[in-house]
Amino acid sequence: MRRDDALGRAAAALGSMRLTAVCLSLLMLLVTMCTLLQVPLGTHLAVERTIRTFLIWWTPAGATIKLPVFPGGGLVGSLLLTNLLFAQFLKLERSRRKAGLWIAHLGLALLFVGEFATALFQVESQMPIEVGQTRDYSEDARLMELSVADVGDPAQDTVTTIPESLLKPGAEISDAALPFTLKIKRWYANSELGMRKPGDPPSEATAGVGADMAVRERPVLAVDDAQNAAALLVEARAGAESLGTFWASNALGAPQGFAREGRDWRLTLRPRRYYLPFSMTLKEFKHDVYPGTDIPKNFSSLVRLRDAGAGEDRDALIYMNHPLRYGGKAFYQASFGKDDRLSVFQVVRNPGWLIPYLSCALVALGMLMHFGLKLSASLRSAK
Amino acid sequence: MRKASRYYRGALAAGLLLAVRPLLTPAPRTAMPVAGFARLPVLEGGRVKPMDSFARNSLLLIRGTQSLTVDGRTVSAAEWLLTAMTKPEAADTQKVFVIDDPDVLGLLGLEQGSERRFAYYQIEPKRDEVGQQAQRAERLEAQKRSRFQSAVVNLSHRLDLYEQIKNTLMISGSGDPVEDLSAFNEALPSALRAAHEPAKASARDREALKALARFLERYQFLARACAFRPLPPRGGEGEDAWASIGEAVLKPGGGREPHPGLASYALMARGWRNGDASAFNSAVREFTAWLEAERPGDARRARQEVLFNTAQPFAAGMALYVLALLAVFAWWATRRAEAQAAAGGLLAAAVLVHTVGLFARVALQGRPPVTNLYSSAVFVGWVAALLGLFAERVHRKGFAHAGGALLGFCTLLIAQHLGASGDTMEMMRAVLDSNFWLGTHVVTVTIGYASTFLAGALGVAWVLRRQFVRDQDPETTRALVGLTYGVVAFSLLFSFVGTMLGGIWADQSWGRFWGWDPKENGALLIVLWNALILHARFAGYARERGVMVMAVFGNIVTALSWFGVNMLGIGLHSYGFMDQAFYWLTGFCASQFAVMWLGWMPARFWLEKSE
Repeated sequence: MRRDDALGRAAAALGSMRLTAVCLSLLMLLVTMCTLLQVPLGTHLAVERTIRTFLIWWTPAGATIKLPVFPGGGLVGSLLLTNLLFAQFLKLERSRRKAGLWIAHLGLALLFVGEFATALFQVESQMPIEVGQTRDYSEDARLMELSVADVGDPAQDTVTTIPESLLKPGAEISDAALPFTLKIKRWYANSELGMRKPGDPPSEATAGVGADMAVRERPVLAVDDAQNAAALLVEARAGAESLGTFWASNALGAPQGFAREGRDWRLTLRPRRYYLPFSMTLKEFKHDVYPGTDIPKNFSSLVRLRDAGAGEDRDALIYMNHPLRYGGKAFYQASFGKDDRLSVFQVVRNPGWLIPYLSCALVALGMLMHFGLKLSASLRSAK
Repeated sequence: MRKASRYYRGALAAGLLLAVRPLLTPAPRTAMPVAGFARLPVLEGGRVKPMDSFARNSLLLIRGTQSLTVDGRTVSAAEWLLTAMTKPEAADTQKVFVIDDPDVLGLLGLEQGSERRFAYYQIEPKRDEVGQQAQRAERLEAQKRSRFQSAVVNLSHRLDLYEQIKNTLMISGSGDPVEDLSAFNEALPSALRAAHEPAKASARDREALKALARFLERYQFLARACAFRPLPPRGGEGEDAWASIGEAVLKPGGGREPHPGLASYALMARGWRNGDASAFNSAVREFTAWLEAERPGDARRARQEVLFNTAQPFAAGMALYVLALLAVFAWWATRRAEAQAAAGGLLAAAVLVHTVGLFARVALQGRPPVTNLYSSAVFVGWVAALLGLFAERVHRKGFAHAGGALLGFCTLLIAQHLGASGDTMEMMRAVLDSNFWLGTHVVTVTIGYASTFLAGALGVAWVLRRQFVRDQDPETTRALVGLTYGVVAFSLLFSFVGTMLGGIWADQSWGRFWGWDPKENGALLIVLWNALILHARFAGYARERGVMVMAVFGNIVTALSWFGVNMLGIGLHSYGFMDQAFYWLTGFCASQFAVMWLGWMPARFWLEKSE
């Protein structure tokens, strides 16, 4: 069974306890780093930079190069998983005595797979909805998209959306649905927008509200709840003719656009939307507090769920610790605002959400078996 | 052996007797007993509690103690509360405000001397200045405030609380509450006539309208400024419809009779203010009788909570843990079986008292044992002591007893300090309001903390024994190491299951199983460390010394994940921020590092050098 060639040695190294110890130590350091970095970076960025990456990169002050300084969560996790599987199948005896260890370790492997699946497939978005409103989409406030809408037809708007990843300065965007091209001139992930004052340089925009505004780039806010004001300078062109240069921003509410070939076009920069094949209407939002205090006791939202395709039309109550799971997504009561007229749902799509439940049960069972055996043995020997 | 078991039973009985002593001590005989008043239920902080609990918590916040001494006489918290509510001119001269910060004292123009407690009248001239400084400081986030700013905000909050108390039954002791109430009720009908039909109103009606306006203003102020709501809902009203004095006067509830508690509280206030014992006592009796008839459940729960407050089981538990620890030391020093038996008996008594206290809280609150940082400390100590009690049965060498007693004492001490910041049975914020998850995730993960600490305590015992005990028989050493291994395995099981249950709760309430939140990370670190110890031992990287020193490091990991992550002030779990605890935590970690260093040094190394 055991081979002493290079392959055998590599397998032995991959399955060695030394690697386990090293990986567990590295993981502890990573988790500590991730925790401490949350103070300056916020949870999302700290996790992206330490856990959901293969290497942790560091840019020395004043330099432009990135240096890998520490293995990231992806690398340590994969190593640990490999180590676990090699150790399991190469070394661990297949006996009843070790059955608990087998179950616990396989459960653990499943947990790792589940966390990888989450990192790959989980999509989180929010659905802010006011009492009486109906929504059929959720949005991701961390990503923007440029929507180009043909509002000429009163019956229905035709909307083309361009994701943030394409909004790079210098890019020329054309789409079969658009009788013009869009030239991206500037992109600020965060900015400060204000009315132009005397003495400010002339605005780069030639049309829309942006023509009277001063737009300055600002550092991106990383703290979890911070809202960035993204700004996009975009020129619409038809051949050599310019149809106008606009400042689009999620912080600007006023509609702006241009006419072309008898049709009206609107440009809006907005949080990225995920459309749902069903709709939700917020009928009622409740924010209960304990009497005589402002300690929240419960938040609950009564929604009407309508899904023509599935023939569903019913009420659902979403409240603390009781999400609504529908259509492969889960809707959680996350936040509220506007004098308790606005309810915000966290919308999560995670096809692997059941994996952790299964793996936890396996690990717990395995440990109970193994330690139970050990305990009864030691009690016997003590007598 | 029979002699030893007699010592065991004797120690157990003596310990329990010590614990019930506060209940047997009769209240001092005074003309105006406050015990009946202390049992009246009020609504404050979102829950119904006895006057006694509100008084104790308020005095703890303001003064840091549950009673005070006035003119050589011990004054209970309830009596202080009553005086502050009805005779503020007397309460204002009692030294109840603890002020330690030299800069705050400077702001108040007070000199820092041996006295660290000051009376309200000494602060009053600078009251507005304190309020303004606190407002400025509150614009900053709590973590960014300087020491002075934190202290001034703290003082301002305590002053606010005290002033609210003074404006709960009467407006800072002014007027006669009984006459005010009857004058108001008398003026009401004619004043209403004057308001609705001004043409027909007589001069007397118009006079009544003016008087009514004055009263309305006063009662509106009382409704706004009060500290708690003493009047329970009557039949037909919702369970939450507790009212303050002002509210009950202003909104009698659709033309009903005024709340009977209004007259009773007015009589109590006047009786206490004038030192009229019979009037005060009969008003308390009358209102108690009404409560027993109308709100028997609230009255009973309030009585039970007063009993719990009086018994102070955790204070007795602390004393018993110390005694048990001393008995173990005495056994180690003398090797006498009597001391061993006494240690077992004392620890059993301590755990019993601790258990009663813990379950009394569970029963009073209707919640699983761990709901906040305070109760987590109580629970960690309980589990550790209980584990110690049982682990001792495997190897009877005293280490498990000593570790359990030490942890029981330390965690109750921590709990006592955490409890000084307010009501320890506070209401649960919405997301935590789930008995199922509090009962499973929180309890399991806290058991994980407790057993990791117990393993750490055993590690410390091993290190100290190795350095300081001359004759070490290998059998005891083996027992200690085996015990530690078992406790680490137990910790791994509970911390893993607890952490994962937390993940499942998070999946249920926030939509993600794992969010790398600081508190989650802290729990994960404990799991990883315990796993590392077991794997290192299995592979032979860590043998006896390695395992024991690693177990000591477990103390640091657990302390940081229990308290340290709360100090980061971020994440979904940051519900308990503490200022001073930071220094204690740093000190604790430093001491554990020192023990680890001692563990790495050769045994009795300083002796070998000199020899």
